[in-house]
Amino acid sequence: MNDTLNTIFNRKSIRKYSEKKVDKEIIDLLIKAGLSAPSNVNKMPWEFIVIDDKEILERISNVTLYAKMTKEAPLAIVVCGNKDRALPGEGSDFWVQDCSAASQNILLAAHSLGLGAVWTGVYPTADRIRNVSKAIGNVPENIIPLSLIPIGYPAEDEKNNEKTLPLDRIHYNGY
Amino acid sequence: MNEAYNNIITRRSCRCFTGKKISREILDLIITAGLSAPSPINKQPWEIFVIEDKEILSEIANLEGFFTKMTDRASAAIIVCGNTDKSISISSQYYWVQAASAVSENILLAVNSFGLGAVWTSVYPIPSRIEVISELLNLPSNIIPLNIIPIGIKDNEEIFEKEIDKTCIHFGKWTK
Repeated sequence: MNDTLNTIFNRKSIRKYSEKKVDKEIIDLLIKAGLSAPSNVNKMPWEFIVIDDKEILERISNVTLYAKMTKEAPLAIVVCGNKDRALPGEGSDFWVQDCSAASQNILLAAHSLGLGAVWTGVYPTADRIRNVSKAIGNVPENIIPLSLIPIGYPAEDEKNNEKTLPLDRIHYNGY
Repeated sequence: MNEAYNNIITRRSCRCFTGKKISREILDLIITAGLSAPSPINKQPWEIFVIEDKEILSEIANLEGFFTKMTDRASAAIIVCGNTDKSISISSQYYWVQAASAVSENILLAVNSFGLGAVWTSVYPIPSRIEVISELLNLPSNIIPLNIIPIGIKDNEEIFEKEIDKTCIHFGKWTK
């Protein structure tokens, strides 16, 4: 099995972090992984807001129940869509898929670098979008937070909670 | 840098294939990689269709209004779908799109790790494309095709540096 498959298979959501800071060079690597996602017509309709300010992390942690762990994380990346960079017309919502691919790349890169992270959903829930934007500060209206990803060095027991993969969900040549 | 990381930053869309077959064993690993994506409350709101039949691949290649021409020389095509019956929704807005997109990215990365090529061609949310693929696969109304990912053995080894626009990185608050 190659290193990529191992990373993909073994990545899991990490919600407890040690106090160890994440170095700027590592943050840059995480963002570069996000930026390496494919996007429709190569529009790259994303923005990455990097939060390492304790006050902002705490404010964001109060936005939803599912974001509580952000308070304990040394770092969070908020992946946002930029509607001004999005395609017009029928493809105007492609940014959701592009930003999701970017979020997944960040999770995988984090795991490959020994970090732990978890994707907490913001878009399309209207009050979460509003509250995350408010907690960060002056986020303009064309910038839509899609995911909030708290990141840190894992404090959780590395117990191997293997997912059972539902292979009956694969269909060859028809439903 | 580690191999898994390098795989993420070197992945590129590939649209030229030799037409040769990929083993079922490798395809299974690629699909399993897809299925390892995270999803809200682990609902796994997706269905994966794997097309290896040459006739269907060629049919997909010739669809009007799609960007799937390369599929006639692909070894297989994976069609990632959302299953709305398994998706959480808030104010009738579904989360499956994001989960199925993470599945798709995992598939692209796994393909790249085998030195194979693939490209994400979009279906959702274009209504006409959804209709065509739903008919092609005989899909019930709760299964919605997100994309078509032709996969094959690369026919060109051209590696080009992707131009990366860093103005979209923000440290701390929004300052533009």
